[in-house]
Amino acid sequence: MKTFEIKGFVETSLCDWDGYLSSVIFLPGCNLRCPFCQNGDLVLRPDDLPTVGFDTVTDFLRRNSNWIDGVVLTGGEPTLRRDLAELAGEIKRRDFKVKIDTNGTGPAVIEALLEEDLVDYVAMDVKAPLDERYGVAAGAEVDLKDLRRSIDMIRALEDRSEFRTTLVPGLVGEKEVLLIAETIQGARKYVLQRFVPENSLDNSLRRAIPYGESFVSHLLERAGKYVGCCTYRGKLGVGLS
Amino acid sequence: MEPVKTPLSDDGVDTTATNDIDTLTSNSDDVQRLHRKLASRMFQLVRKRDGQIVKFDRENITTAIFKAAQSVGGTRREIAEQLADDVVLNLFADRGSTLPTVEEIQDIIEKVLIENGHAKTAKAFILYRHERSKRRGAPKTRPEVDAATKDRPLGIDPTELALFVRTSGDEIAQWDKQKMVQAMVREAGVPEAIAKTVSDEVEETVLHSNVRVLTVSLIREMVNAKLIEHGFEDARKKHARLGVPLYDAERIITRRNRENANIPHNPEATSMTLAESINKQYGLLRVFSEDVSDAHARGDIHLHDLGFINRPYCSGQSLEYVKKFGLNLPNALSIAKPARYPETLLAHMVKFSAALQGHFAGAIGWDAVNIFFSPFLVGLSEREMKQMAQMLVFEYSQQSVARGGQAIFSDINIYWEVPKHFETVEAIGPGGEATGKTYSEYQKEAQRFAWALFDVYKEGDGTGRPFFFPKPLVHITEKFFSTPGHDDFLNHISDVAAEKGNTYFVFDRGETAKISECCRLSFKLEKSDLEDAKRPWRMRYSALQNVTLNLPRAGILAAGDDKKLFSILDDFFDLAIKAHIQKKNFIMSLLNLKDSGPLALLTMEKDGEPYLRMKRATYLIGILGLNELVQAYRGEQLHETDDAFKFGLKVVAYLNLKAKEASRKYGLRFVLEQTPAESAAFRLSRLDLDRYGKKAEAIVKGDLSKHKTYYTNSTFLNVSEPINPIERVRLEGKYHDLIEAGALSHVWIADSRPSSDSIANFVLKTFKHTRNAQIAFSPEFTSCNACDKVARGLSQTCPFCGSMDVDGITRVTGYFSKISGWNDGKRAELADRFRSDI
Repeated sequence: MKTFEIKGFVETSLCDWDGYLSSVIFLPGCNLRCPFCQNGDLVLRPDDLPTVGFDTVTDFLRRNSNWIDGVVLTGGEPTLRRDLAELAGEIKRRDFKVKIDTNGTGPAVIEALLEEDLVDYVAMDVKAPLDERYGVAAGAEVDLKDLRRSIDMIRALEDRSEFRTTLVPGLVGEKEVLLIAETIQGARKYVLQRFVPENSLDNSLRRAIPYGESFVSHLLERAGKYVGCCTYRGKLGVGLS
Repeated sequence: MEPVKTPLSDDGVDTTATNDIDTLTSNSDDVQRLHRKLASRMFQLVRKRDGQIVKFDRENITTAIFKAAQSVGGTRREIAEQLADDVVLNLFADRGSTLPTVEEIQDIIEKVLIENGHAKTAKAFILYRHERSKRRGAPKTRPEVDAATKDRPLGIDPTELALFVRTSGDEIAQWDKQKMVQAMVREAGVPEAIAKTVSDEVEETVLHSNVRVLTVSLIREMVNAKLIEHGFEDARKKHARLGVPLYDAERIITRRNRENANIPHNPEATSMTLAESINKQYGLLRVFSEDVSDAHARGDIHLHDLGFINRPYCSGQSLEYVKKFGLNLPNALSIAKPARYPETLLAHMVKFSAALQGHFAGAIGWDAVNIFFSPFLVGLSEREMKQMAQMLVFEYSQQSVARGGQAIFSDINIYWEVPKHFETVEAIGPGGEATGKTYSEYQKEAQRFAWALFDVYKEGDGTGRPFFFPKPLVHITEKFFSTPGHDDFLNHISDVAAEKGNTYFVFDRGETAKISECCRLSFKLEKSDLEDAKRPWRMRYSALQNVTLNLPRAGILAAGDDKKLFSILDDFFDLAIKAHIQKKNFIMSLLNLKDSGPLALLTMEKDGEPYLRMKRATYLIGILGLNELVQAYRGEQLHETDDAFKFGLKVVAYLNLKAKEASRKYGLRFVLEQTPAESAAFRLSRLDLDRYGKKAEAIVKGDLSKHKTYYTNSTFLNVSEPINPIERVRLEGKYHDLIEAGALSHVWIADSRPSSDSIANFVLKTFKHTRNAQIAFSPEFTSCNACDKVARGLSQTCPFCGSMDVDGITRVTGYFSKISGWNDGKRAELADRFRSDI
C-alpha cells in the first residue's frame, strides 16, 4: 500500500463539491500565510498532526463506492506535494473523480494533472485583486504571473472549475471583489465564501465581524455580471454591510 | 427538657388545661373561666341524635330549663341561667375527648334540677322529654337527616353549624357524616354497616383535630385510609379521588410544560396540562387493568398520551372528505356546504383540523394535499398560487388556535408525481362536484402548488425562522423519476432542507404507497386501501394507541441469558397487547354513545361508515432504546460491532413477528413503530436508574451527574457517535422494513450549509442504495427575540445584536420546536448529538 502524507480525512461531505458526495483529503504545507486561513495547523505545524493511512481512505471508498462520487484534495496547498499526481492517480484508478483546491501558485502542476487526466475539477482561490493587495491577503510574496497562468488554464475548464474569494472585511471589499471578477471574467462559476473568524491564522482577525447578508447579496449581483454564476457559500447571517 | 408549648386556640385561650375543672365553683370568676374554656374547640360541640355535630350553646340549655320552669309558673330567667352553668360544669367535668350527646345533656339537666330542689320544673322537663321521645318513635332508630332537622332536639339549634366542609364545588356545607356513608355505598359498594363504622371513626379523628374548615378531598382520603385499615382495598380504589397536589397545580399554572415541546406556555396550555393529569389518573385507574397500569408505572412499558385517554392517538385524513361533504360536524353551530373557492377549502381544512385535534392525542395528517387541492387551483397566477401556499402554511403554524393553545400538530403529504393509485381517480372540484377529469389531468396545478409551498418554507416566517408546522412530507415513488421536472423539484426541496430543514423525504419504493403523519408514523396502503383510493374520501386512518416497550430493561434483566431475554420481551409485549385491547374497549364504549357521546365527531357517517374507521385502525407497539438493550445484553452498542448490529435486527425481527402473530390472534392490526419517545426516553431511563442502579448507569445516555439522562430513540444508533451520515442512513435503514408504522433517520447538520445539489444527490442514493424509509436533515437555529433575526447554529447570545433573549430551534424528535420547551432528557440528547459537518 502506498503511503501519502494525509493529515486529515473527512469521509463524507456535502459542502466541498457542489452536487457531489465527496470525501476530503487534507494535505500538509503551504507557500502562503493567509491571515484568515482556517487550517493553521496544517500550514504551520503539519508534523504535529497524525497521519491518516491511505488504506483508511481506500477502505472507506471501497465500502461506499456507490455513494461517494469523488475525492477532494485540499490543504494546505496540494500542488506542493510531490506525490500529488500519484495520489490522484490512485484515486482515479478506483473510479472516483478528483477535485483539487488550489491557490493557483503552481500552474505547472495543475497543467500536468490535467494533461494526464488526473483531475476532474479545479477550484482556485483568488484571494485579492492581482496587484500589491495580493501579497497582503496571502501573507507572502506571490508571483502574479503564475496566478494569471492558472486562472487562464482553469477558466478554460469551463464547468469543471470554479473560482473562490473569501470575504474578509479589511482585505476584500466591494472594489476588490469586482476587480477579481473582472480578472476571471468569463468563468463559469464564482463563489464568494463567508469568512469564519474563529480559527483565523492571524489572531487579530479572530474577533473580526464578517459581512452581512444584504452586502453579500449586493456583491453577488454586481460580481455576477462578469461570470456564468456567482454564488455564496457558508453560514447565512448578518454582519457588516 | 423544656415542656412542650401547648397550642392556643384562635382567641388565645389555652385549650388543654382542663385539670382544674373540679375546683370550679359557681362564683362569677369561675363561670367566666368556664366560658373561656367553652370557647375552646373541644367543648364547643355536641353530637345530635342523628349523629350530626353542632355547636354547643349554653343559651339553649338556659332556654330549655326556663321553658320547663315557665310551664309550672316560673318567671326568673336568671335562675335558669345559673342552673345552666351548673349543667355545663357537670357536663364537662372529667370529660375526655368524647363529645356530649343530647341525651347526656338532658340527663344532666334533670339531675341538676333535682339536686337544686327544683322538683316541679324537673318533673315538667321530664314529661316534656318523654313526649318528644315518644313522638320520635323507637329510640334506637336514627332518623334521616331531613327528618331530624324538622324535629329539632331540645335545646340545640342545628342551624348553627360548628364544623364546615368545603365541597368539591365552591360551597361550604355542614359536616354530615351520612354523606361519607352514602359515597362509600354508592361509589364503591361498601356494606352500609362498614361504611357507618368507617364514618364514625373518621368523625372521631376529625373532631380530635383542630381544623375548622375541612375539604372533601381530605375527608375522602381519611375515609380511604380507614377503608385500607378495614381491608377494603378494592373499595378504596373505586372510592379514590383524582386530583393534583396544590404544589403541582401551582407549578403547572406558573411554569412551562416540558413533557411536550409543542405545548406553549399560556392559560389554555396550563388548563390542558391540569386536565391531562386527571385524565392520566383516570386512565391508569379505570381504563387499564391493574397489571397494565403497574407495568406502566414501573416502567416495563410506556402508555403514551395517558393525558388524552378519552380519544384515539393520531389520524390521517383525506381532503376529499371535506371537499365532498363540506363542514357538517355533529352538534355544530353552523353547517358549511362544500367549498367553491380555494380559500374556502383551505378554511374548511384548517377548521376541520382544529376540530380533529380535539379528538386525537397526536398528529393530524393530510394526504396528497397538493393533488387534492389542484382542481381548485386552475388558472391561478403565480402570485395567487404563492398566496394560497402562504395562507396554508401560516394557518397551520400559528399557535393558540387549537387545543391547549398549541399549534395544530399537522403534516401535509406532497407528491410531485400523481401517484399511481390516484392517476385515474375522478377529481372532485368546487361545490363537491366531479369535474369530469382525472387527477392526472391536474398534475400541472398540483406541481405548481407543491413548488409554491416550498417557496414559502424556504423563506420561513416573518423573521426567517423555519416553520414548525405543518410538516411537509414529500413522497418519492418510482414514478417520481419518470415525471418531468423531478430533478428541479428535488433540488428545490433539497434547498429547503439545507436552508431550513423542513423537508421530509419519504421513500415509497416498489409498489408501496404510504400516508404519513405524526412524527414518523405512516400507513402502508394495502389492497383494500388502494380500492378505497378510487373514492379517496374514504381514506381515513387512525392509530388508536401507542404502547412502547422498555427494551433496555429487558436487556438488563436478561443478564446475558438468551431465553430469558426473549421471555421478558414476550411479557412486555403481552402487556402492551393487553393495554391496547383495554384502550380499544374504552374508546369503543365512547364511540357507542354515538351522537350523545364525547366522540360524536368520529362517529358521523357521511359516506355510510363512521368517520373513524375502526376496522382500519392500527395499534402501535413502540420500540425504544434498542441500542441500550443490545449494550446491556452484549456489552456492545449497535454501531460497535457487526454482531451487535445483527443481534439488534434479530430482536426487532422477533418483535415484528410477535406483532404479526398478535394481529392474527386478535384480528387487530398491531405494528411496530419508532416511538417518538419525547418524554418516554427520559422517563424510562430514570426509572431504570432507580431500579437497577449500576447496571442502568452503564447504558443510559446523557449526563448522569446532573440526572439528565435518556435512552436512544427507537432503533437509532447512538446519536453521539461520529457515525458517517451515509453509514447511519444505511444501517438504520436496515431496520425500517421491519417497522411497518414508519421510520425515519435524522441527519443532524447543525450549522453547516450543504449544497442543495449535494443533498439531492444524497437523497437519491438513499432511495436507491438503502431500505431507509424516510430521512430529514436537521439544522439548528438561533432566533433573536430582540432584533427578530435568525442565525444558523445554536448560541447563547444573538450573533447580530448580542441579546441574551434568544430561542434555540431544532428538531426535538420528529418536529421543530424551541429548545426552551424541551425536557432534561432531550436537552441532554441535544448536547450529545453528533453533528455531521457535511
